[in-house]
Amino acid sequence: MEAYWYWICHELYLERVWARELLHCYGSPRAVFEAKEEDIKKRFPKKAIKYKEIFQRRRAWEPKRALEELKRAEIAFYSCAAREFPTLLKKMPDSPLGLFVRGSLPREGELTVAVVGARRCSSYGRMTAQSFGGILAQRGVGIISGMAAGVDGYAHRGALERGGVTYAVLGCGVDICYPGQNRDLYSAIPERGGLISEYPPGTPPLPRLFPLRNRLISGLSRAVLVVEARERSGSLITADLALDQGRDVFAVPGRIGDALSEGCNRLISQGAGIALSPEKFLEELGVEGAGKSPGEEKNKKSLESSEFLVYSCLGLQAQHIEEICRKTRLPLLQVMKILVSLEIKGCVCEVQKNYYSRDSVSSSKTEIY
Amino acid sequence: MFGKILSADVRGIDGFGVSVEADISDGMPLFLMVGYLASEVREAGDRVRTALRNCGILLPPKRITVNLAPANVRKAGSKFDLPIAAALLAALGVLDPRELRGVLMAGELSLNGEIHGIPGILPMVETARNMGCTCCVVPKENLREAALVNGIQVLGAAHLKELLPAENPGKRGVFSALHSPEEESGRTDLLGEPSYGVDFSEINGQETVKRAAQVAVAGMHNFLMIGPPGSGKTMIAKRIPTILPPLTLEESLELSKIYSIAGLLPEKEPLIRERPFRGPHHTITPVALTGGGRIPMPGEISLGTNGVLFLDELPEFQKTALEVLRQPLEEGEVRICRSYGTYVYPARFMLVAAMNPCRCGYYPDFNLCTCGPGEVSRYLGRLSQPLLDRMDICAEAPRLSYEELVGKKDRETSARIRERMVRVHKLQRKRYQGSGYRFNSDLGGEGIEKFCPLGPKEEELLKNAFQRLHLSARACHRIIKVARTIADLEEATHIGREHLMEAICYRALDKKYWTR
Repeated sequence: MEAYWYWICHELYLERVWARELLHCYGSPRAVFEAKEEDIKKRFPKKAIKYKEIFQRRRAWEPKRALEELKRAEIAFYSCAAREFPTLLKKMPDSPLGLFVRGSLPREGELTVAVVGARRCSSYGRMTAQSFGGILAQRGVGIISGMAAGVDGYAHRGALERGGVTYAVLGCGVDICYPGQNRDLYSAIPERGGLISEYPPGTPPLPRLFPLRNRLISGLSRAVLVVEARERSGSLITADLALDQGRDVFAVPGRIGDALSEGCNRLISQGAGIALSPEKFLEELGVEGAGKSPGEEKNKKSLESSEFLVYSCLGLQAQHIEEICRKTRLPLLQVMKILVSLEIKGCVCEVQKNYYSRDSVSSSKTEIY
Repeated sequence: MFGKILSADVRGIDGFGVSVEADISDGMPLFLMVGYLASEVREAGDRVRTALRNCGILLPPKRITVNLAPANVRKAGSKFDLPIAAALLAALGVLDPRELRGVLMAGELSLNGEIHGIPGILPMVETARNMGCTCCVVPKENLREAALVNGIQVLGAAHLKELLPAENPGKRGVFSALHSPEEESGRTDLLGEPSYGVDFSEINGQETVKRAAQVAVAGMHNFLMIGPPGSGKTMIAKRIPTILPPLTLEESLELSKIYSIAGLLPEKEPLIRERPFRGPHHTITPVALTGGGRIPMPGEISLGTNGVLFLDELPEFQKTALEVLRQPLEEGEVRICRSYGTYVYPARFMLVAAMNPCRCGYYPDFNLCTCGPGEVSRYLGRLSQPLLDRMDICAEAPRLSYEELVGKKDRETSARIRERMVRVHKLQRKRYQGSGYRFNSDLGGEGIEKFCPLGPKEEELLKNAFQRLHLSARACHRIIKVARTIADLEEATHIGREHLMEAICYRALDKKYWTR
């Protein structure tokens, strides 16, 4: 039966409503596949012209062989009727007809959180996404995101760095790596989680597919965390969808006046949860023993007093060297040396040439001797 | 009758001797010019014949042959007019062939006999001296330029008549009517304080970039500035020549030779005293940058020799134009091949480049930057990694605050900084004597091992930085070279931890990490 489901997902992934009507009409995917062309035309006269090509292609389609080819390409297919199909999605209103997966789907009952945000993010967004992704994943939470540039990618990276599980829901076929800059994620995620898409392999990343895949990101997760979002952005669409699906929405607060945090701050004012730190967030999610952070011992670093002075000036917003000089009242050359030594110790990072910020959210808790 | 005189042509920046021979013999009336000549040299025949007639000398209706030897080298330019005329005069018996021995001539004739200036006089006079000539006759316009060469007598001629004994009765000797160079144009006032008209002390704020620029100058490192529009990148670049040590006489002559060939040497000031600053527009073609043409002429990189080549808006340059810079940056000279020979021009310049961090110029300020997600990396993607690898020092200029803009602090003048640079350059010259290197920036892998040993503490630091900051081997070499320069600025014999740290701060971000 999966073979016929595959055909339906392959041809009608954008016509879920019609596909459901067809299924309702004929009873099973196999019956739809084998239905006479004239019969379908008679029942759905409006669609007939538009889907002439589908009928044409159907003649050459061999369901069994097509499914085998899919297996050979190491892509798993789960129809919405399959046992493995996530229950979370089954309950969703506009649920997909099937999923294509490289790697694995989230286990039934696995705690999953979506981390989403702007593609063009600031160093603040990057650090937050990476450390939330990392720490949550370390505590056994599956991180779900869209493998886009910016926040999405950093959330995945954070999870992978800390040995966690992470799932990427793509807006194209799972055999296509988009965007190209995330090639490292594309190859690493299937081994530690999965690449998931409702679009059949070979589907190019078309702009209209992405808003639709956002409903899967929120649908697959228990809660959605928005890290950085402008007013009117794709991340806010995800947040809206999440609310429709009955998921909790959290947002990372930002400074007022920062264009990139306007969306997040608005969400908070509308009643979204505030993600103050990864630990607090875990507590809210109800993860046991959230207050402690076992793997953080190595973060204890010894800093000299002048290093501490510079370090305490820095935040997650990148600052230029000269700004740091003004704040600390230290001479330029000394600040340069301190920054390099802090960088080597892993406390700060050079986000852009001569712009520095703290290395991660958790290191703001670094104990300093 | 036979007449002969020396002249010279220029290939690359060096001249070579050309002997101009004229023969007048019986036969069908004919004026024949031979010796692998370019068309402008062939036309010299008509110019010379007319000029001679207008000076009262008629060529006899005989078979006249003019040969320019060596005959296997192509000769070009209008500089052979005067020597051809002189050789003909000798063949006619007007000039005494004995007086022309050991004399080199060059100049262009106009139809009425006036002598015009020509480019490339300086290398030609130098050739004359090296060939053992005693006297050079050059156009009067070029006299000051020719007088720069020591150890040879130079004379200026403004008109062909000045060479004719019949026109100058009462004067003894063939060249007695010619002009001698004025005394003050000699070499005495050559190396005065250079004056640039701008000064380093005029720059407000931008302490990081200013310091980085000084380190770059101290070791002649290539320098990349990143910053939003209006942050003063161009202003700083324009002032970099002012803190370079004054030109030495050799550098100055070399530079003057290049400008002489390019025909850019001003008549009044024939010696280039100031470090050049070449800032070509970003629409420049690769050929204009390297030099070229049918008869290759020096390009911007050669004209910037011993000075600064400034490329503003680096990513806007044609990709090919940037890539052709790679070989000259490595070798310090540029080779231009033509079917009739290879021209070599010096190209030892300090490359200073400036660019915006993105197309709109405000990245990473997200409240101002209007670039889309892929645009920033696409903009930076126009630079190739090999070119970035050649930029030793990289610094970002932040946007200025109002306080910085109007703030008037006691800032160092160019002259003060220059003194320091002179010391550092001297230090390097002494260290690299006989090694083939000139500055810290020239060091290769072997040179780094030999001249930049690191102590155990420093090794440890570099190792940590290498692992932690994902440095490449190339980046590591650059850091050591720059650290050597910083140590030199403090006149320290060994590279210390603090020198290395500052050098790490100047490293160019590897593209991989830059574009994310």
